[in-house]
Amino acid sequence: MIELKNIEKYYSSKGIKHYVLRHVTTTIKQGEFVSIMGPSGSGKSTLLNILGMLEEPTYGTFEFLGEDVTSLNERKRIELYRNHIGFVFQAYHLIDEMTVYENIEAPLLYKKVGSSERASRIANLLDKFNIVAKKDLFPNQLSGGQQQLVGIARALATQPSIILADEPTGNLQSAQAEEIMQLFQKLNKEEGITIIQVTHSEKNATYGNRILNIQDGVIKEDSPTQAPQMGGVV
Amino acid sequence: MFKLNLKIAWRNLFKNKVYAAINIGGLAIGLTAFVLLILFVNHETSYDKWSPDLKNIYQLREYHDYSTPDNQPHWMQVNDSRMAALVRDKIPQFKYVTRIDQDWGDGFSVKLANADPAIVDHFRDTDSLFFKVFPYQFLQGDRFTAINKPNTIVLKQSLAVKLFGTVKVLNKTIKLLMWRDDPGTLMTITGVVADVNMPESVKFNAIIHTGNIDKDPEQINNFRHCEIYASASGKIDITQVNRTLHKIYVDYKKASFVKRKITYADYYKNGKKPGLKIIPLQKVYATPSFDVSWVDRIKPIVAISIFLLLVSVINFVNLATAQSVQRAKEVGVKKVLGAYKKQLVTQFLLESALQTLAALFICIILVEVLLPVFSNHFDVKLSFWRSEQLLNISFQLLGLFVLITFMAGFYPAWILSKYNPVKVLKGNYESGFKGIAMRNGLVVLQFIIAVTLIIGIGVMYQQTNFVANKDLGFNRDKLVNISTYYRDGDLIGERIKKITGVKYVATTTQLMGNTFNVPSEITYNNQEHSVNTVTVTMDALPALGVQVLSGRIFSLEYKKDTVNTAVLNETAAKLLGKNLVGKQFKEGENSFQIVGVIKDYNNEGFDKAVLPTVYRVTHLGGMASTNNLLVRFDSDNYKPALMAVEAEWKKIYPDFPMIYTSVEDAFQKSMEATHKQMQIIVLFSVISVVLSLLGLFALSTFMAKRRTKEIAIRKILGASNLEIINMLNRSFLILVILANLISWPIAFIITKKWLGGFAYRIDMPFWPFAIATITSVIIAVFTVSLQARKAAVNNPVDALKYE
Ligand SMILES: Nc1ncnc2c1ncn2[C@@H]1O[C@H](COP(=O)(O)OP(=O)(O)OP(=O)(O)O)[C@@H](O)[C@H]1O
Ligand SMILES: [Mg+2]
Repeated sequence: MIELKNIEKYYSSKGIKHYVLRHVTTTIKQGEFVSIMGPSGSGKSTLLNILGMLEEPTYGTFEFLGEDVTSLNERKRIELYRNHIGFVFQAYHLIDEMTVYENIEAPLLYKKVGSSERASRIANLLDKFNIVAKKDLFPNQLSGGQQQLVGIARALATQPSIILADEPTGNLQSAQAEEIMQLFQKLNKEEGITIIQVTHSEKNATYGNRILNIQDGVIKEDSPTQAPQMGGVV
Repeated sequence: MFKLNLKIAWRNLFKNKVYAAINIGGLAIGLTAFVLLILFVNHETSYDKWSPDLKNIYQLREYHDYSTPDNQPHWMQVNDSRMAALVRDKIPQFKYVTRIDQDWGDGFSVKLANADPAIVDHFRDTDSLFFKVFPYQFLQGDRFTAINKPNTIVLKQSLAVKLFGTVKVLNKTIKLLMWRDDPGTLMTITGVVADVNMPESVKFNAIIHTGNIDKDPEQINNFRHCEIYASASGKIDITQVNRTLHKIYVDYKKASFVKRKITYADYYKNGKKPGLKIIPLQKVYATPSFDVSWVDRIKPIVAISIFLLLVSVINFVNLATAQSVQRAKEVGVKKVLGAYKKQLVTQFLLESALQTLAALFICIILVEVLLPVFSNHFDVKLSFWRSEQLLNISFQLLGLFVLITFMAGFYPAWILSKYNPVKVLKGNYESGFKGIAMRNGLVVLQFIIAVTLIIGIGVMYQQTNFVANKDLGFNRDKLVNISTYYRDGDLIGERIKKITGVKYVATTTQLMGNTFNVPSEITYNNQEHSVNTVTVTMDALPALGVQVLSGRIFSLEYKKDTVNTAVLNETAAKLLGKNLVGKQFKEGENSFQIVGVIKDYNNEGFDKAVLPTVYRVTHLGGMASTNNLLVRFDSDNYKPALMAVEAEWKKIYPDFPMIYTSVEDAFQKSMEATHKQMQIIVLFSVISVVLSLLGLFALSTFMAKRRTKEIAIRKILGASNLEIINMLNRSFLILVILANLISWPIAFIITKKWLGGFAYRIDMPFWPFAIATITSVIIAVFTVSLQARKAAVNNPVDALKYE
């Protein structure tokens, strides 16, 4: 589903190129759950942003669903956001002026999903994530873990084929983090959603089935996870 | 989406209540000023639009200096009555040409059978063709034949109702007295025309056809001046007609000069030149013969209302871009959720539309409330809902709404929608934060406006003070002007003189409120001078209380004073030379001896210079027959004496009520227009300044808030509160000082031009400039410090935790 060939990214300052990513070549297939790991500043977020088309690589080709998207026009890119990609952020990034319900509804409105369909999907998600009681609250009335659940629910609302998550549990304590990871695993296993996450935690990485280890912008290691661990049901 | 966006907009407004209030309230005030102005402009442009046929009516204008206030030639709307026949004969495009006597202003006395006489103004004497030219709708009588016969009268509906209580008044008669001892003429009512509820430049309560104006004077050297209107059957080429008119006018003048034994070159010299033209009736109101037209009159007010609106729009834009930090995350998230840039722009435009709409509603309420006050102030009948032009106004409001929404909303919307989601979502709002330069520019612009206005108010204040305290050169209190003609020895004068409390009874052709200037050429020391001549009775100069500079003023002791002596005013004396008393000058064949020089006195407002004037008590220089009967009383409490005068009048002229005004009132009236305009300007300016400051207040709040984290860190690093306040002040102070530097020359040029309109004016004062600068700096520092202090004294830990 994703095909990266020779991706490079550098920032030049005063004529000197500072490479963030070099020779990144890899393939990610439908249904994979990939964890990107590596030291701070190694280029993990940059790679994820390129995968999410939030940044453009300076060199190389990037095919998404068999289509070259290295330099896609805005309209096409937004179409992909609407139909195929869901983002989950470390800082949740819910819209403060919207209630839980409205936050989840927003992407559906952009996708122009009909109102009854919208209502049933949101009801489904609220139910699944156990936040029905919270639907009329504003983000600042929720705990961090709850906010991240809403963030994931929002990402799932448009039924994307892939979820990109940059340190989704970075701001959470371990119990909440575990809950989120189990949720990801379940989504990956039961609904076949491709998940790519950036994480610092070895433990979180084990929930997935593949680890990309990045150092100084180069993929140092690409390995399947040792003991795929089945977590409890959420 | 629309509904959700509305909700977000509402929640945002609610979250930032104070700024929303400043935004919407400010905009409402700016809009109110502007809408009032629009209503006024609508009124002023609606003259002579009450019938589509008025498009084809034209007014004739002759270029001459007869009875102009400055004795200079102007395109006058009163013409030699002979022009009517000339135009009718030579311009075939005109179907009808009608002559209308000038509106003399004071009105006629109307006497109905048993009722008391009443003064009614705006009777216009016309020839029989008036209604053939003007398409008034007849409720009674026949439009085309009503005034065919002499001594007929057609009433306006409102006058008919006022006099008779009904419009069914055909063939009734009313007695009309045109002056105090007029035996009266019985006029037969032959028609009643419907009122028009839009303004007319040929204003009348009744059209009368006396027959006086049907014929031109027989003597070639006699003139009657009247207004002339012509109607064409269709569209005509005005330039073409005017070219022809000019030509036939010159030919006519040449021919008449031959008969009058004057040469063309002699007559047209010193800037005088022949001229005759037509202008469309619908342009008459906007082009008065010599007054400032309403367009020029309201120019400063237009400018200030635009400034006012601009200031409120700038507040709006600044607060919106400042707020955009808060909205950055929303934009970033929405972008990755799949929102098009266009959708985001629409969302933010919607928000500004919402606020504009709210402002517009408040504005409409304010206009409703203020309209009576405003109408009263400007002495115009403005209406809003009941207006004939409601559709027009709705379109104007809609246009204003769209314009303001875009002006206020587009820039912030554009800035916001341009946020790069990666930067914003990384938490790096600052680097994604655009538009600081623009905002600073707008703050400077706003302060330029505010400072310029403060300077303007200061200069105006000093000039008004100067004028209010300036000596008019004559004593205007205890002086009453009865509107009637008068000659020494007249019965009424003799009777009034006997009343206790009356000091002088006199007349003059030059009096504040009613001046009739007569230009003339005099020769002194073989040199010719253009002067203004005024005819007075013996007691006029003492009655006015003028100051004698040298020689004497007229007195009964000197027989020759009624024959060939003259008094000059200072300006005339300067023109002629030194040591004038006792010297002779010539006017044509006649010689006059100068017996005295008096100090200049103002008989018009201070915007006009005093003309070089020669005063005479002689029939050689013309009659003192303008309608000024001047009565000076002994004491300030002259009411009882005045009532005695009125009683005496009533005894002699029972059928003509006495019309009078105090010269003090006439003086106030001459100042009124300027005063009223000044009040509006000051009011609008003060509002603009206050709005600018409110904007600055809100903006500095945002700035302080935005830098909360920075302030907290600086404090942890050891900065004192004062240092932090200074830091926040510095950026604003630079802007305010920059604005001051730019304002000074602008204000200087504008106020200098304004002062230029006064013949008597102050030198450019320095104080308003200094005060404006000091005030603006102090207020800006105060406002910003207030906010900065709040931010500075906060416990830094709170701020950092919050982040
Ligand atoms: N706009 C930029 N200009 C210059 N350098 C940049 C820019 N954005 C990122 N970098 C550099 O790119 C490198 C990789 O950044 P990136 O955010 O991908 O790291 P990361 O692996 O996600 O680190 P962390 O684990 O701390 O989040 C860093 O060295 C950073 O300094
Ligand atoms: Mg990172």
